[in-house]
Amino acid sequence: MSEPLRVLLVEDEALILMQLEMLLEDAGHLIVGTAVRAEEGVALLRETRPDLVFVDLRLADGSSGVAVAQAALGIGGITCVFITANSRQLTGDLEGAAAVIAKPFSGSALEDTLAFLEQALRRPPPDMAVPHGMRIAPIARANWALIEG
Amino acid sequence: MERDDAWRQTDRLQAETGKGDPFAAAVRGTRMPMIITDPRQADNPIVYVNDAFLSLTGYDRDEIMGQNCRFLQGPETDKGAVRQIREATEAKRDIAIDVLNYRKDGTPFWNALYISPVSNEAGEVLYYFASQVDVTDRIDAHLKTWSEKEHFEREVAKRTRELSEALAAKTMLLHEVDHRVKNNLQMVASLLALQTRTITDPTARATMEDMLKRVEALGTVHRRLYQSNDVERFDVTEFVRDLTSDLVRGLGRNDIRLHFDVEAVEVPVAKAPPIALVLNEIVTNVLRHAFPDGRPGRLSIAVIPGETSIVIEVKDDGVGMPDLDQRSGQRSFGKRLIETLARQLNASITWRAADPGTAVHVRLPRESAVRSETR
Repeated sequence: MSEPLRVLLVEDEALILMQLEMLLEDAGHLIVGTAVRAEEGVALLRETRPDLVFVDLRLADGSSGVAVAQAALGIGGITCVFITANSRQLTGDLEGAAAVIAKPFSGSALEDTLAFLEQALRRPPPDMAVPHGMRIAPIARANWALIEG
Repeated sequence: MERDDAWRQTDRLQAETGKGDPFAAAVRGTRMPMIITDPRQADNPIVYVNDAFLSLTGYDRDEIMGQNCRFLQGPETDKGAVRQIREATEAKRDIAIDVLNYRKDGTPFWNALYISPVSNEAGEVLYYFASQVDVTDRIDAHLKTWSEKEHFEREVAKRTRELSEALAAKTMLLHEVDHRVKNNLQMVASLLALQTRTITDPTARATMEDMLKRVEALGTVHRRLYQSNDVERFDVTEFVRDLTSDLVRGLGRNDIRLHFDVEAVEVPVAKAPPIALVLNEIVTNVLRHAFPDGRPGRLSIAVIPGETSIVIEVKDDGVGMPDLDQRSGQRSFGKRLIETLARQLNASITWRAADPGTAVHVRLPRESAVRSETR
């Protein structure tokens, strides 16, 4: 594997957060921080400058993951991926995120997703198919040189 | 002696109508209220009024002779109607209009007024002839109908708004519940995955992993649910794709090729979880036995909609199951799960040697399977 991805996790369900940490570490990536609230997530974004941030759409204390996605977009150089059980709420451009992963995800689907994102970020275009349960924003499709369809 | 009085009024008229004129007699005697005004006198005063007019308005003849007609107007009289009447008379044309007028005692009545100029041969207007009909009943009925219609339309609009709001609230509630179910399923999967990692005993660990796969299969159902805005139907084919690729990926085997031959088939939503669990058991079982020791192979899944049933076929080209005949004797949890769920689904499941490999058929009856075209 190429250099591990530096990943920030923003998820308010502690158990899901733990499972994500486990899956990411198993896949050889580096977790630079975890947050359960949007403002925490935004602060950690500025502090840690991760390669990738996974964000739940609904966060603790009624805060929204969209704020994190917008902040990541503002800082630049950070790929934001939503992990959410209500992906239908998202607009076509995914509010500035590169992709969205639908909950519930299976362990193997998330492994696929990580492999896909690693390729997309490190050496695009990825040579594997878009994992199921994953939706990619048009702008990210272009950035990662994905062939349409 | 009102009647005699009216007679004399006719005598005083300067027009070419006389005492013995049958037309003048008709005007005097008719039940239709009528007046005549003289525009050549200042303020266009009334110069003739018949008895019917007096009984309609409640005035005595003396009170209104020589007066302008505006005494008929009152607080609720439409100014626009009055202006139209004035404009018509000024333009020397006739006019028919409904206007609210008032009696001497102040009670209002709707007056279907008709005014017509009477000119001499030189084109000079000598008189205005006006007839009145009390049409209060007709106007009231009209206004009542109109206001009932208004009221009805308001009620319909209000009801429609309430229904739209109720629907929006229900849709929001459905999304909320859907969200929670999915989140909770993810939490159950997280719990199982986290615990599994701490287990060192391989058998116990394998059992936990199997359990995690079952929960993940249910998770896949719920992820696929409501994606089409349809809360009653569930597309089996997309689900079969997701589930099978998940299971193959979970094995970490990229030497097993997947082949799908599926036609879009929808089933009632309630059938989706048992179907998911049955397929999960079958595919897990096939993957476990067909390709031992790194033997590569091909797993094909077909969804075949028929007239009375749909068949889901899971076929491999692996080593086959040497213990197929003995399988009925086994009472593994997975097998019991398949049997129980098959009973619930009214499905029949057959395992047979396919040479090479094994073919498993799940036949679901028509009532639990609906082709998407028939919707």
